[in-house]
Amino acid sequence: MLNELLEKLKEITSSATEALAAATTEADVENVKNKTIGRNGSLTALAPMMGKIAKEDKPVAGKAFNEAKTTIQNQLEEARERLADASGASAAEAIDVTLPGRKWRIGTKHPVNQTIDECCAIFRRMGFVVAAGPEIETVHNCFDALNAPADHPSRDPKDTFYFDDGRLLRTQTSTVQIRTMLANKPPIRIVSPGRCYRRDTPDATHGVHFHQIEGLYVDRNVSLADLKNTLEAFAEEFFGKGVTIRMRPHFFPFTEPSAECDFSCVMCGGKGCRVCKNSGWLEILGCGMVNPNVLRNVGINPDEWQGFAFGMGIERLTMLKHRIGDLRLFSDNDLRFLKQF
Amino acid sequence: MKISLNWLKNYIELKKSPEELAHILTMAGLEVEEIATIGEIPAGVVVARILSRDTHPNSDHLSICQVDAGNGNQFQIVCGAPNCDAGKTVPLATLGTVFKDPEGGKDFEIKKAKLRGVESFGMMCSARELGLGCDHDGLMILPEDWELGKPLSDYIEKDTVYTVEITPNRPDWLSHWGVARDVWALCGGRRSFPNAQLPSVAGFEDWNMLVKVEAPDLCPEYTARVIRGVKVAPSPKWLKERLEAVGIRPINNIVDITNFVMMEFGEPLHAFDTRFLKDKRIVVRRAAENEKIVALDGKTYDLDNNTLVIADTEKPVAIAGVMGGEYSGVLDDTTEVLLESAYFNPTSVRMTSRKLGLSTDASYRFERGVDPDMLETASNRAASLILELAGGELVSELIRVKTTRPEHPRIMCCFSKINSLLGLELTAGEIVDILRKIGLGVSNIEDDTCLVTIPGFRADIKENADLAEEVARIYGFDKLPAGKVNAIQAQPYSEDAYAATEKLRDQLIASGLDDCVNVSMLDEKTALSDPLFEAGDLLKMNNPISLDLAVLRPSILPGLLACVKRNVARKNQDLALFEIGHVFCSNPAKYPEERDELAIIMTGRAHAERYSAERAVLFDFYDIKGVLESVLELRRTRNFEFKPATDPRFAKGVCAELLIDGKQAGVLGKLHDKMTKGMRIQTPVYAAVIQLDSLLNAEEKSINYEPVSQFPPVTRDVAFLAPKELDNKTVLDFIASQKINNLVNAEVFDIFSGAPLPEGAKSMAYSLTFRSMERTLTDVEVNTAHEKLRDALAKKLGVELR
Repeated sequence: MLNELLEKLKEITSSATEALAAATTEADVENVKNKTIGRNGSLTALAPMMGKIAKEDKPVAGKAFNEAKTTIQNQLEEARERLADASGASAAEAIDVTLPGRKWRIGTKHPVNQTIDECCAIFRRMGFVVAAGPEIETVHNCFDALNAPADHPSRDPKDTFYFDDGRLLRTQTSTVQIRTMLANKPPIRIVSPGRCYRRDTPDATHGVHFHQIEGLYVDRNVSLADLKNTLEAFAEEFFGKGVTIRMRPHFFPFTEPSAECDFSCVMCGGKGCRVCKNSGWLEILGCGMVNPNVLRNVGINPDEWQGFAFGMGIERLTMLKHRIGDLRLFSDNDLRFLKQF
Repeated sequence: MKISLNWLKNYIELKKSPEELAHILTMAGLEVEEIATIGEIPAGVVVARILSRDTHPNSDHLSICQVDAGNGNQFQIVCGAPNCDAGKTVPLATLGTVFKDPEGGKDFEIKKAKLRGVESFGMMCSARELGLGCDHDGLMILPEDWELGKPLSDYIEKDTVYTVEITPNRPDWLSHWGVARDVWALCGGRRSFPNAQLPSVAGFEDWNMLVKVEAPDLCPEYTARVIRGVKVAPSPKWLKERLEAVGIRPINNIVDITNFVMMEFGEPLHAFDTRFLKDKRIVVRRAAENEKIVALDGKTYDLDNNTLVIADTEKPVAIAGVMGGEYSGVLDDTTEVLLESAYFNPTSVRMTSRKLGLSTDASYRFERGVDPDMLETASNRAASLILELAGGELVSELIRVKTTRPEHPRIMCCFSKINSLLGLELTAGEIVDILRKIGLGVSNIEDDTCLVTIPGFRADIKENADLAEEVARIYGFDKLPAGKVNAIQAQPYSEDAYAATEKLRDQLIASGLDDCVNVSMLDEKTALSDPLFEAGDLLKMNNPISLDLAVLRPSILPGLLACVKRNVARKNQDLALFEIGHVFCSNPAKYPEERDELAIIMTGRAHAERYSAERAVLFDFYDIKGVLESVLELRRTRNFEFKPATDPRFAKGVCAELLIDGKQAGVLGKLHDKMTKGMRIQTPVYAAVIQLDSLLNAEEKSINYEPVSQFPPVTRDVAFLAPKELDNKTVLDFIASQKINNLVNAEVFDIFSGAPLPEGAKSMAYSLTFRSMERTLTDVEVNTAHEKLRDALAKKLGVELR
């Protein structure tokens, strides 16, 4: 009885192996399954024989039966995988993966706004918040309160746009410093990006408008050294590691001491090139300690409070960062220009 | 302003190289823009004399000269200079001389050449060709006593000339002595002041009553002195070299001396020939209205009552502090001069200079403020040089007319505040030392303070902060201590005025729009192409730069539309653009002067034909509405709604207004044809104009989590014929009002009209989703609910179910 069973098991498994090897479709495989381990399959049909096996032979028989079933199951699985692999590789389904994907339509940020946002992000990390103000301003906020002398050339209608009522288009975003200091008590720590206007005939390096970002920090112990460290950190964050700064004494009515700040040339790394006129340095911004008169003008006591301020041109930073040679591209907004950023 | 290194060395001992000194000056606030070497004569250039001059047979401007180059050498030189007359001593570049190009270009070698058929064996040079100033009118004429054949470099001193940028607060740097003062403070070493030795004068003669100042407000101090018996002649070589080095053309010894002293002490002087001063009087007065003067430049200037002039008893002889008169200056036959050294009101000089459009070395200095303490010193220095170089004798002591000048200001210096401002820890001694080095007077030194007396040459120093700058400048900005950024926040981030705009911009970009920045000035016609505005609404500048940029934009739309036009003309035809910026209006009924606006324009293809058989699709109304909806949802706007609207900017029927919190926030739609007329845009143009404040200040939804159902949804459709006017919102509102059990969503999935549907009708199909929070819904209860809704639609809304 046992031998008969073992013989049959062997027969069933080997014929299943043969049939599976020959199978070319899923249906062939299913057919083998049905004929062997299926409900009416030959292996299933052997189950009643098990009852008739002598008790001492039962462990051997059971083991052999299970082994046969497992073998067939494994072979079925292998055959299915073989067929699946084969169909996956069929030429009919192959695609050209080099065709363009269906991209979401994604817009681009204007390079000027990219620079503004990047500057704001850097200064926010240093604890500044962004302040804003109108572009039509009073002479007081734009010049008087900033300690510009009454006959300062920048006030001249040759250089500044005026309206009938005596107001003007702001020539700098320092106007926001005045507004902020009038509205808040120190400590104050702001940057103000925005549009400014100067009466320049448009060419490659001039326009009637440009963008500026100004910074102001007023507190009890802010120092020129703090200003230098702030600008140094900014230079590295904006242009990348290794960019250094130097401050040179200069003159601005709204700061005292005043300085111009140069960044090591981002084109040549400071070795000297055409852009930096072989000096290794690029003049980037004006800065200094807020002139005590400016603090007095907004009702802040300069004996108690002091601060630093700086201002730089967004277009200049952008032109240097992206090697843009002509200012007019910024207001032209040609799609082929915009899409590069 | 040009500074000569050799000149500086007259006053101070300097051990730095020219480049080192340039760096030191730049880092001390005197920015060196250019370093030039002058007087570097190429080897081969020798002193020569023209023996003869003959006309060139084939040219009317060339001459053939025989030139004696010393040591028995004689050369034939073809020369184009007008002044190559026989007998002149000139520089000759002999064959083989190599000129370096100052711009770094190719070298130029003198070779034997044939010029229009005549051989030439060298080149006679102008001053400019030798890098000695700008004179290129003819050959440089050398003194007759220079030895022929000697290298010219034996006679010409090499010098370094810095071109420096001088900030308006430092008029003291408009002089070599002033620069030398700071160089000494920075570098130390020996220094010597150029003292003037003047003989004492016996009598005053009748000169005492010479000067009368009628406008002391504009001329607080006037000095004059007369020198008689001078002999006008060319200046000696050293004086010419000094002036040429700093770009001043030598004229004659008297004029050159006044210029030299101006460049030495920063005090402009003027010399009058007393022959031309009627009654030998000087009257310093305001010009009469419509008075005229012919100045040294030969031009006639109309004067008025605000112009200060130097006059005699009859007529103006100089525009005070700006320029002398044509008929009162020093001539070759002048024998008696009146030397003026004065202090003029800086504002007055600036106004005069600006009004006459006349800026001179003198006016440049007076308008910035000369050192009132230097008037006498400068006059003495010039007088002693005149006596030395032009002979003559002093007729009088210095005649001085002045109002009482305020004493030198004294300011309190606080050491701890200076250290606090700079972030340094300098001792009182170090600070005092710096202040003294730059020429300030220091007294009453206490623990934390001292008293500083400000000399006339540093009128820019007014308080402690100015002293702090001086300390930082001399100590060195580069020595400020490095450290961490102190990153304490002073204001809360919630006060950030830009964060919301920045986020909105990012959201629009993520919605596929390109960000633009257009000029906010327009020509009036373009501005008024927006029919919401009339000429009276526009803000116009008083002084526009051109008619193209004469008004401020009342809306972003016209400028952005112009940008679309430009792009389409360049075949960038698929455009989805936006701009956020300030707009301006002078009519408060429209909006109050200045506000922020967002404008969007979409035209062309939303996407091109695709390889996978998709057709190109043009932008339409629902694209622009979709952008706004996405943004409103991203911003969690609580209450917003789009309603049909009419607006002159938009096509009738393809226009909606956006309401946020019940108020109009903007309008969108298809632009009216008249807005795009003449723009050659082939595709419909959709636009939206939104007031930024309404969008950014809208009420925000707070997010409270709602549980999601664990049970499957069941969907049903409903389709019906409706009149064309029935809009989606009405249908959805109606469905919602029926409160159908377990109906959680209804949305339109198909709309069509036209044949075979009857005229004026459209088919609308909605997909309905039923779902319960508690259990799986049975077909029966869904069907019941569905039937109830169909029934209501047919009976109450009056549509024809399909």
